[in-house]
Amino acid sequence: MLADRSIAFKLIFVITLSGTLIFAAVLGYNYYRSRLMLQQELENNARNLALASVYRVDTVLTSVAKVTEGVARSLESGGYTHRQLLSLLRATVRDNREIYGCCAAFEPLTPHARPYGPYFYKQGKTLVYDPEDTFQYLRQDWYQISRELGMAEWTEPYYGDNGANILMATCSVPFYETTNGTRRLKGVVASDVSLEWLTELVASIKVLKTGYAFLLSRNGTIVTHPAKDMIMNETIFSLAEARNDPGLRALGRKMIRGGTDFIPYTDITGRACWLYYAPIPSVGWTLAVVFPEAELLAQVKRLSLTGAAMGMAGILLLTVAVVFIARSITTPLYGLAQATASIAGGDFEVDLPPVRSRDEVGALTTAFQVMKGSLKEYIARLTETTAAKERIESELNIAHDIQMGLLPKNFPPFPERREFDLYALMAPAREVGGDFYDFFLVDDTHLCFVIADVSGKGVPAALFMAMSMTLIKATARQGIAPDEILCRVNGELARDNDSCMFVTTFCGLLDTETGELVYANGGHNPPLHMKRSGGISWLPTSGGVVVGAMEGITYRRERLLLEPDDSLFLYTDGVTEAMDLRDQAFSEERLERTLALLCGSGIRETVTGVMAEVGRFAEGAPQSDDITMMMVLYRG
Amino acid sequence: MEIACRTENDTTIVKITGRMDAITAPSFEKALNERIAEGETQFVMEMSGLEYISSAGLRGILATAKALKGKGGWIRFAAVGGAVKEVFDISGFGSIFRMYDSVSGALAEPA
Repeated sequence: MLADRSIAFKLIFVITLSGTLIFAAVLGYNYYRSRLMLQQELENNARNLALASVYRVDTVLTSVAKVTEGVARSLESGGYTHRQLLSLLRATVRDNREIYGCCAAFEPLTPHARPYGPYFYKQGKTLVYDPEDTFQYLRQDWYQISRELGMAEWTEPYYGDNGANILMATCSVPFYETTNGTRRLKGVVASDVSLEWLTELVASIKVLKTGYAFLLSRNGTIVTHPAKDMIMNETIFSLAEARNDPGLRALGRKMIRGGTDFIPYTDITGRACWLYYAPIPSVGWTLAVVFPEAELLAQVKRLSLTGAAMGMAGILLLTVAVVFIARSITTPLYGLAQATASIAGGDFEVDLPPVRSRDEVGALTTAFQVMKGSLKEYIARLTETTAAKERIESELNIAHDIQMGLLPKNFPPFPERREFDLYALMAPAREVGGDFYDFFLVDDTHLCFVIADVSGKGVPAALFMAMSMTLIKATARQGIAPDEILCRVNGELARDNDSCMFVTTFCGLLDTETGELVYANGGHNPPLHMKRSGGISWLPTSGGVVVGAMEGITYRRERLLLEPDDSLFLYTDGVTEAMDLRDQAFSEERLERTLALLCGSGIRETVTGVMAEVGRFAEGAPQSDDITMMMVLYRG
Repeated sequence: MEIACRTENDTTIVKITGRMDAITAPSFEKALNERIAEGETQFVMEMSGLEYISSAGLRGILATAKALKGKGGWIRFAAVGGAVKEVFDISGFGSIFRMYDSVSGALAEPA
């Protein structure tokens, strides 16, 4: 997917992606840890807060219980007069700020006795006395529970009916008298406590923004709660019922059983919260503190959001930096690529992007500059060399034409002469060669013909060939015998022959009237004598030395009488040493066989036939040496 | 082509094997010219291992022979056979150089 994209894109993509992933991982971990730590801390705070509140509430209620207990014990110990009792009750209410009212309710000695329960309570700044002699306190909870249990007991909270309509609870303590060893309930001392202060205290518990506390009575009745209409109207169980939430019911049971816990909780508005609860031991109520989770996490969220914003800004900055770096790499590279395309197109004048840095890109650009220079120089040199080569080739072509021009090429050369005919052919291996043939009439009845092969090939051989050919022709025209011709030419060529080149030469002089052939061989391949009868024989090797090798050489004059229609086949070693692809030479034997097959054809057909056979034999192998053939026919 | 030289009685015996043509002849000429430059003037060419010789090879031999002649030295050929012998015969080199059947024969002959 990335393979087709630019380097800049890849860099940006990979680095930004990696950066984002790393950052997200760090942020996530940080969020998780912070949340855990905050939760831990909040639990501690909640516990401390709740316990502190519990302690405060418990202190107040315990003191109330103690005072009530004290009054009850006093009433057990001494015989109080009515007046003394009123004074004790009045002092108790007056001296204890928390106590709203105090009553000493006596158990009637007989079922029809008049109830006696003097009661003092606060109304504003004054104390009000209520004799309570008509009041059916005997049927009140506070009285009955305490009486039946025989111990100090707190009532469930209730709304006082003394006109103040305030939430109250009553601590009741039974007191006894012992007569004749029998312990008999004398009455119950009850202290009314206004729960206003408790409501205020619990309401003052603020956790975070909207966290709050509430108080449950022993029955699970909601005693204090920020939602006022729930106070005394709902219990935790009625809430569980209404919400059809068995979990809440189970929680309620745990709470009123006096447990302590820190648990997740869904509050009445459906918010996810954390709840801490602890019992108030003296009354068996439960204080619960609620923390909305959203607020608990708000701080962590804010922190995380800030972190995320910083991270985003960082990644943006990183991306910009990467873009910058990538550009600084790819812009020169792009320039280089374009310049390279131009150079490839042959434009060496194109400007490369400037080297702005000493980094790898800079090094590359510098290397490119060097390469451009070298290429330019190389191309210039190549152009020069090519031009020189072309010039040489053109010169060689001209030389080829000149060389070919030297060789007589009109066949038949003497159409008016019936008594003989001649055909020759020369195919140089390169543009110019060292082989040559020549023929001319020395006088009316004498035909001189020459075939020769200069040592080596190419231009040096061609120059030597031109020189030799000219010398031979000039010498032969003097009308002297072939051996003499070769002797003189040898003398000329051998003199000052520093290059040590030489030329193998066969020179013949045919008497066109008699058919007598006088010849001399200067180191040349012996020609073949093809008789009219069909027989083919090699002319004997005379051991004549190549022409031009050294001075003072003499040649043998040899004779051969040609019958009418006899012919002579002359060739250079380019024929017999023509190689095929397996490096096999054409050989004298094959030449002889080929000639035998061509026997009876005309001289032109024979020569071209041999040439064709050599070509077939070579099978396309490059021609390594000049090939020259000449055939002289004596008709008689 | 390979050239191996050894010296016997002030005479350098040069054993030539392989083909001596336009491509290899210059290295032959160079090898012998170096010997000549070192002062060696008497050479016997052991030709039994030579399979083929072209006109360029003959030219190389001729150039060496001429260089030796200028210094009063000589070159002899031993055990020339086969196609090479034919070339020597045709070109007349067999008549302008001294040919021997064997190296020992060439060495035995006084200068």
